[in-house]
Amino acid sequence: MRQPHASDELPGELLMWILIVSELAVFAAGLAVFLSVRITDPEGFAQAQDMLDRRAAGINTVVLITSGFLAAMAYRMRQLGQRGKARLLLISAALLGVLFLWIKGAEFASKSAAGIVWDTHPFFNFYFLLTGFHAAHVAAGVVLLPLVAWRDTVENIEDATAFWHMVDLVWVLLFPVIYLLR
Amino acid sequence: MTERALYIAWATLIALSLGSTALAASGLWVHWPVASGVAVLVLAWWKARIILARYLGLDAAPAWRRRFDFGLGCLCVLMLGLYLAPLAM
Repeated sequence: MRQPHASDELPGELLMWILIVSELAVFAAGLAVFLSVRITDPEGFAQAQDMLDRRAAGINTVVLITSGFLAAMAYRMRQLGQRGKARLLLISAALLGVLFLWIKGAEFASKSAAGIVWDTHPFFNFYFLLTGFHAAHVAAGVVLLPLVAWRDTVENIEDATAFWHMVDLVWVLLFPVIYLLR
Repeated sequence: MTERALYIAWATLIALSLGSTALAASGLWVHWPVASGVAVLVLAWWKARIILARYLGLDAAPAWRRRFDFGLGCLCVLMLGLYLAPLAM
């Protein structure tokens, strides 16, 4: 008989948790390096940060958190057997993901129009790399959520929404460090 | 996870996010950079804990929840140390 393992206690798929921890570790390393480089030029980093649009990033935070909430509600509805509501919530969550990407795209476009590119200052190396890599995860989630609205088993929805919450989790750590810490 | 718990988690996350954004936009940062930095990182840690516990279901796995809380706490302490380092120079 198989002995119970500590990982059995984790909700959902173990592989999804490995992915969550791996992604957190990657972004944590990125943020730690960002703050380490900042030590060499705190004034320059502060000036570069002041060129960011904090209001847009704040709106994007509300958008992503609300999208995560809709995804969590979708999983709950699917558990209760309310497939139609679950599908609608998943599509709504994906649409908010699209809105996040649109705002992020506008932010990148405004930087480009102002002549700010990745090598303008070391701050922008990290800004484009970390927020761009995060946006790529949002794009993946935007594809994944409608996919599980179509193939709507409880397990599929659990995995896709866990991925989406990971994207949310990374953003709540990324947003304050890149945009708010002065 | 009940629907009510999910609503409360969402409202708390929104309030904490608006709180940290308002703090960054306020003049408090000029006078109390250390306290403001600590507050923003504590709020980030709090938000991450809510997502893990409520949305990712770690409320049902308390031992894992404690491990994640500790790990994220260590990360926030590290980031705080790196943020404060220029002030000590």
